Amino acid sequence: MDVLMPQLGETVAEGTVANWHKKVGDTVAVDEILFDVETDKVSMEVPSLTAGVITKILVPAGTTVEVGTVLAVIESAAGASAQPPPARAAAPAPAPATAPARPAAAASTAEAPAPGWYAAMPPSMSGAAEQYTPRAANDSPTRPASSAHAAPRGEMRLSPAVRRLAAEYRLDLTSVSGSGRNGRITRRNVFDFIEAMKSRPAPAAASPAQRAPAPPPAAAGAPAARAPTAAPARASAASAGGMLPFTRIRKLTAEHMVRSKATSPHVLQAVEVDFFRVDQVRKTVRDAFKAKHGHSLTYLPFIAHAVCEALHDFPNLNSTVQGDGLVLHEHVNLGVAVDLGAEGLVAPVIRQAEKLSVAQLAAAINDVSTRARSGRLKPGDFSNGTYTLSNSGTFGTLITAPIINQPQVAILSTDGVRKKPVVIETSDGDAIAIRPVGILAQSFDHRAVDGAYSAAFLDRVRKLIENGHWLVET
Amino acid sequence: MTPVAAARSPQSSINPETRLKLYRTMQECRMLEKRAYDLFMQNLIKGTSHLALGQEAIAAGFGTAMQPGDYTFCTYRGHNHTLVRGVTMTQILGELMGNSSGLMRGKGGSMHLTSVKHNMLGSYAIIGAHLTIANGAAWSAQYRGTDQVAVCFFGDGTTNIGAFHEALNFAVIWKLPIVFVCENNLYMEYTSIHDVTAVEHPAADRASAYGLEPVLIDGNDVDVVYRTALRALDLARKGGGPSLIEAETYRHGGHSRADPGKYRPDEEVKEWLAKDPLPRYRNRLLQMGIGESELQRIDDETKAAVDEATETAKNAPPPPLELANKDVWADGGSAWRN
Amino acid sequence: MAQLTYRDAVAAGMAQEMRRDKNVVFLGEDVAAAGGVFKTTVGLLDEFGPNRVRDTPISEQAILGAAMGAAMTGLRPIAEIMFSDFFAVCWDIVANEIAKARYMTDGQVTMPLVIKSGNGGGARFGAQHSQSVENWAMAVPGLKIVAPAFPADVKGLMASAVRSDDPVLFFEQKSLYATKGEVPDGEHVVPLGQANVVRQGSDVTIVALALMVPRALKAADILKEQHGIDATVIDLRSLVPLDTQTILREVAKTGRLVTVEENPRLCGWGAEISSIVAEELFWDLDGPIVRITTPHVPLAAANNLEDEQIPNADRIVAGVRQLVD
Repeated sequence: MDVLMPQLGETVAEGTVANWHKKVGDTVAVDEILFDVETDKVSMEVPSLTAGVITKILVPAGTTVEVGTVLAVIESAAGASAQPPPARAAAPAPAPATAPARPAAAASTAEAPAPGWYAAMPPSMSGAAEQYTPRAANDSPTRPASSAHAAPRGEMRLSPAVRRLAAEYRLDLTSVSGSGRNGRITRRNVFDFIEAMKSRPAPAAASPAQRAPAPPPAAAGAPAARAPTAAPARASAASAGGMLPFTRIRKLTAEHMVRSKATSPHVLQAVEVDFFRVDQVRKTVRDAFKAKHGHSLTYLPFIAHAVCEALHDFPNLNSTVQGDGLVLHEHVNLGVAVDLGAEGLVAPVIRQAEKLSVAQLAAAINDVSTRARSGRLKPGDFSNGTYTLSNSGTFGTLITAPIINQPQVAILSTDGVRKKPVVIETSDGDAIAIRPVGILAQSFDHRAVDGAYSAAFLDRVRKLIENGHWLVET
Repeated sequence: MTPVAAARSPQSSINPETRLKLYRTMQECRMLEKRAYDLFMQNLIKGTSHLALGQEAIAAGFGTAMQPGDYTFCTYRGHNHTLVRGVTMTQILGELMGNSSGLMRGKGGSMHLTSVKHNMLGSYAIIGAHLTIANGAAWSAQYRGTDQVAVCFFGDGTTNIGAFHEALNFAVIWKLPIVFVCENNLYMEYTSIHDVTAVEHPAADRASAYGLEPVLIDGNDVDVVYRTALRALDLARKGGGPSLIEAETYRHGGHSRADPGKYRPDEEVKEWLAKDPLPRYRNRLLQMGIGESELQRIDDETKAAVDEATETAKNAPPPPLELANKDVWADGGSAWRN
Repeated sequence: MAQLTYRDAVAAGMAQEMRRDKNVVFLGEDVAAAGGVFKTTVGLLDEFGPNRVRDTPISEQAILGAAMGAAMTGLRPIAEIMFSDFFAVCWDIVANEIAKARYMTDGQVTMPLVIKSGNGGGARFGAQHSQSVENWAMAVPGLKIVAPAFPADVKGLMASAVRSDDPVLFFEQKSLYATKGEVPDGEHVVPLGQANVVRQGSDVTIVALALMVPRALKAADILKEQHGIDATVIDLRSLVPLDTQTILREVAKTGRLVTVEENPRLCGWGAEISSIVAEELFWDLDGPIVRITTPHVPLAAANNLEDEQIPNADRIVAGVRQLVD
């Protein structure tokens, strides 16, 4: 049986064999760890799917290959039974045989002699042996600090908690020191690492990458670099005129943005939307909604609802370019960009958003944002997005040209909504009214659609928002 | 031992109204049970059911003697005992058919027919268990100071299981208001009771082991059953404690639907079919001067009732799916965790 | 507040409820005149009289059957099964009858009864008088189960068990009968289905039941003082209903779970909790889930053999240290 380089994430195209746990000629059992693999996101132990003897190792440790490459060959020995991996230590060795001597029985109080069992109860049941007396509060020594040596490459045992955090925060765990047994990275180590990252001062120009006003000049737009190599440098305090090295997150974000721009010819189109009707509904249900759901009803769920509905009629914008064609997606898995500050951006996905009502979208947006900010997203929250909303509105910007979230073909930025005078056509002629107005700006991939298609889509979104008979259940 | 309380001047001391009630009750039991048999043959009743065809006199005799506040406990062969307490035919057939018209809407099935509001406190499928539970109901009546009596029906096979002995002893020493009724149909499932019992009369011969008077009656003579029942109930109501009654009878069919009863000798079957309680009582009533047309009317009314109940039960929908997880707990739910 | 022994708290809880509701009655072997073979029901006959507190023959099936029949007809009986091992003698009534009557009758029957029983080992009574059988009951739908560790909970849970309209198995641990604890004066009720965090820590969450709770607390002290490991200890108190939320909340904080069970290994309650945590808290676990149990053998009679078998504080310490790094 061929051992292949596994795909550890949907946008991961290759992996590095970090370390072999077995060599040619060794026997391996089902589920026994065979090798360690690293990608730009995470490091993992890979178990064997079959039992047998390793006859070939084709890719040595330290080599990076594409997903699907044959790494090794295992021959199942005819009739060889899959031996279970070495049994974990069973219940720990029992305590030393000499139990503390039981105190002599307290004399029973003067009562009539009791029937057999009571009298037969051994002195141990006088209670002192099992009595728990709480200790007085005193200073106990703190845990001895374990040596913060980095784990040897072969000992990267990552617990589920550590893996989840690493995926969420896009950490390179080789830069996290492990204080666990044999240098194991514990959950606490990762928490500490994240805390340390957070408390680093932010770089000077703190605009999130997706909102860069213009793409970098063409000369600087080199194709995306390959998998990162060096351990991230820790940022020291920014000094005027000094060098501010990228954090790990910053580096990854930079690569993604360059790659996206290099892949998709971005075109920006925008519409100006009157949120009058939406505002009426929001005002009407505001208190009841907040009371029932615990969070406020913003513009975003309405925009999301209109986008999902419009994508139904403009499916080419809910697609992926593959080879010489477009893969049209059955559902709208709506990514919602959440800014985590120093941790960068994440875009967790709301699955099958086209099936949700405004209230449900509001709840879902609130849920993924809250979980993103509190570090509670799961790896599954990031996958299979088909269209993304980027909400810049909180800062009141006019317009943003967002960068597409690959492998999607479009992304919509929602900027500030503010009161403006607009011209209203009435039966008595034109009049001026004060309306809440905001710009929705879409970047689309010109390989997938043309301007007219995108413009028609945006017009549809605008009309849905402006003319919709909005009903929000509370 | 000769059967005590033999039919001596059966015509006296039971009024005609009661006799007609006894007849009607037996007929209802017979026709309903026969209908259950037919429905099983038509595959409308699944699972298993245990028919008491031939044993109607015991259910009818006791059912008529008991007061509404008295408690019934019986075995899985309990359709008749359920019917005589006032449960409708539709509910019984519906439960056998496992649909929403059933007495328990299909939750329990044939072997567990229960109607608390009729004080029919259940049909029990584990041999012997309900004798101990019937004691509890009797204790409750005694504690609360009411004149309620628990009546507990079981078969001959039950007399050999541990719970029987525990329950009898317990009832006697606490002097509980309870009547234990052994319906001896001569067979413990597929085996002759004589082959597996140390004494000749499985219940009556054990009575003295518990300080009780041996009572052995012809369980197919409904008048005898009725009078015996009244006596035992009266004793219990007055604080005289338990009775153990062995009523000899015979089942026309096998132990359960799956059993055609071919292990019984032909002569024996013939002999007992001749003592079928229903035609026997019919003849007695006719001899006493009750008109054929009156009896025929009862027969016709009963058949009509059974037919109507069958239709109603057949047309009822299956139980709603959410019933599957309801009523484990008193709050109606089944949650074991938060 | 009063200092009561565990055994006195049993009687106190029963008395509290029997005063409150005259439908509460009590039956069992040697429970009335003798006050119980473990002296858990002393004084009840004197206070409530022979109509309400009754001695029975050695007839476990009849005892529980009577409790069931009485519960179905308006009383709220408490029945005693002297040693929980004896449940095997009358298990039909518990598992086939009591647990299922309400369900099978479509809710017609209500079963407000309590069965109290002396459970567990440590008293050198040998294999047939020392078992922890709460898991037999946990495996049967329709039974509620409590097993208190401290006198206050003994009284409070007895009150809740009597007041519950469902059948409740009340497991008393024999080796705890003589331990003492503070018990609130006046009416004291502890709800069923609520675990209690008896020690708050940060490095590992230990879930224990009955006798294992004080032993886990002793272990927690040793872990803190000698090994710098700060353990949370949860006294489960109730197996059904199970307070899953408390367990999940506390394990999420530490990322590590250890269960300490007096029962033999296979199918103990710790396995169920391990399964729930592994399923619902997988991404928060920082290490494997560890169960510390009596090995899967009958309990021996000799002092040192039984002590070797039932988990003690030292074994708990070792088990936790193996897990926490």
